[in-house]
Amino acid sequence: MVAQTRRELTVAAPPAAMSAARVRNATTETAPVRWLLIALGLSFIGLVLVLPLISVFMEALRSGIGAFFAAVSEADTLAAVRLTLLVAVISVPLNVAFGLAAAWAIAKFDFRGKSLLITLIDLPFSVSPVISGLVYVLLYGANGWFGPWLKEWDIKIIFNVTGLVLATIFVTFPFVARELIPLMQEQGRDEEEAAISLGANGWRTFLYVTLPNVAWGLLYGVLLCNARAMGEFGAVSVVSGHIRGLTNTMPLHVEILYNEYDFAGAFAVASLLALLAIVTLVAKSLLEWRYGDRLAAGRKH
Amino acid sequence: MTITVDGITKSFNNFQALKGVDLTAARGEFIALLGPSGSGKTTLLRILAGLEFADSGRLLFDGHDVAAQGAGERNVGFVFQHYALFRHMTVAENVSFGLRVKPRAQRPAKAEIGKQVAELLRLVQLERLGDRYPSQLSGGQRQRVALARALAIQPGVLLLDEPFGALDAKVRKELRRWLRRLHDDMQLTSIFVTHDQEEALELADRIAVMRDGRIEQIGTPSEIYHQPATAYVYEFLGNANRLRCRIDRGRALVAGLDLPAPEHAELRDASGVAFVRPHDLTIKDPRQSGLEARVRQVFVAGPAIRVELALLATGDTLEAEVPHGTDLGELIVPNKLVSLVPTKIRAFPDA
Repeated sequence: MVAQTRRELTVAAPPAAMSAARVRNATTETAPVRWLLIALGLSFIGLVLVLPLISVFMEALRSGIGAFFAAVSEADTLAAVRLTLLVAVISVPLNVAFGLAAAWAIAKFDFRGKSLLITLIDLPFSVSPVISGLVYVLLYGANGWFGPWLKEWDIKIIFNVTGLVLATIFVTFPFVARELIPLMQEQGRDEEEAAISLGANGWRTFLYVTLPNVAWGLLYGVLLCNARAMGEFGAVSVVSGHIRGLTNTMPLHVEILYNEYDFAGAFAVASLLALLAIVTLVAKSLLEWRYGDRLAAGRKH
Repeated sequence: MTITVDGITKSFNNFQALKGVDLTAARGEFIALLGPSGSGKTTLLRILAGLEFADSGRLLFDGHDVAAQGAGERNVGFVFQHYALFRHMTVAENVSFGLRVKPRAQRPAKAEIGKQVAELLRLVQLERLGDRYPSQLSGGQRQRVALARALAIQPGVLLLDEPFGALDAKVRKELRRWLRRLHDDMQLTSIFVTHDQEEALELADRIAVMRDGRIEQIGTPSEIYHQPATAYVYEFLGNANRLRCRIDRGRALVAGLDLPAPEHAELRDASGVAFVRPHDLTIKDPRQSGLEARVRQVFVAGPAIRVELALLATGDTLEAEVPHGTDLGELIVPNKLVSLVPTKIRAFPDA
């Protein structure tokens, strides 16, 4: 009787090591594997993302803070900054409008050629930016298809701000639409149908129901679109003509300075660009942190 | 508002969802569209609401053709299956939406809107939750918000798509009674879609049983339940045991058992099916005449004892219900041979 009880006790209390092993989460690896994977991931991020970013700022400030400000406040550099901001200010709102309209049409309506339209929206992502630039030269350049006609009317597109804006819009087109389409599709049409059956017309439905539901997705799209619009190099490089003070955006200006062995200047402008990108990301994170709960409430039902 | 549906058809690509539906709803009536998924009931409801448009047929509200009117012009309250509440608006904003989007000339003043919203929230017993967002509410609360929002525009007709489908059983039952009272108090004309026969039987004044894009039978719950027009309707309304039979001059012959089927007095030796509800199947001592069967399982929990039996002749599974306290203790034991006597059957000749 006593022996029986003792055996039951040992069964009821297994060795400590075993119970620890049992407690471990089913989806967790052992400690060495975890640390190995974490170390691999961190070193990759460090080499590919963090170090380059740090080096940009270190190079920019290598010749001292005075040299940095001198390079940044140079007339051509200031013109490049102004132009970059101008291009972004024009192309981002236009792409917000196009992207919203495209996403709305795709997510909320059924029509022929819908999958073709989705493919078209992805086109700028899959085509090399250089090709996008060349296409515009081919179409609107002096010897292009519309060249003579444009010349007749004295409209300059290539080697002009217009061309820069067009090329930037082309390259950044998918950002807003791509952000919104899956979100809108997931939200379905029920709320729009409810609004319409309550007597709202199409415009009010869009303004009061559709738009607020995607506001956060839209903001992400705008931020990404803006970052790309300011940083675009390939397409813009082809249509720009690199006229200093006139058609030279910041990324192009960095290249010019670099090719002229003005490393301090090149990195100073590059650090400004990187700073713009960082500000964008910080703004996004701040908004997310501040309004994260509302974002979550909007995404689920 | 009276509603007349006259020969409505609707196709989606190659699928014919509605194949000519006729239906009339009188003012103040509460009608259930009952059927399995794919029977066209939701399509019909959406056509009534103006969210889909019929390919052919006429749709009249109070005698006026509304087929060409958009959803917003029909003054219809629609309650969606998954509520479709505006997720970024509070409960009060949701409820007032229909008033706020009215054209300026018809739009009530702000104070008036606030008063109406408060009244509606009191009606649906959510007066304290006006500031909450839909994601902070339970399923039953969301459903009531959806209802209040639909009622805010004082609709001529209230349409509900599986209104209790996503709720748990207890809440469903409460809301059901509450909705029926609301319908009567506000003198609404309501049409709702359901696949739950119990819900239809309890709520509706009349039930339209739908099948493959057509209305199979329409009638009061009592008519549908006691005089089902077809085998399909019979099977859809409640549990039924299906037995092959021969029908001859008002008699149905089921596995050697001769049972009355007076509604088929003029039929001569036709094959068909006979249905027996579980509670119309009496279990007797095997020495008595009846259908020979073997007890398979006995489920004691629930309002009645449910007995699952295998028919010896065919191997078919039958279900019988015995009230608690019936003196059958030694008979309803697994593997026991018994004799089954249907006290009431309903026979339908094969089509």
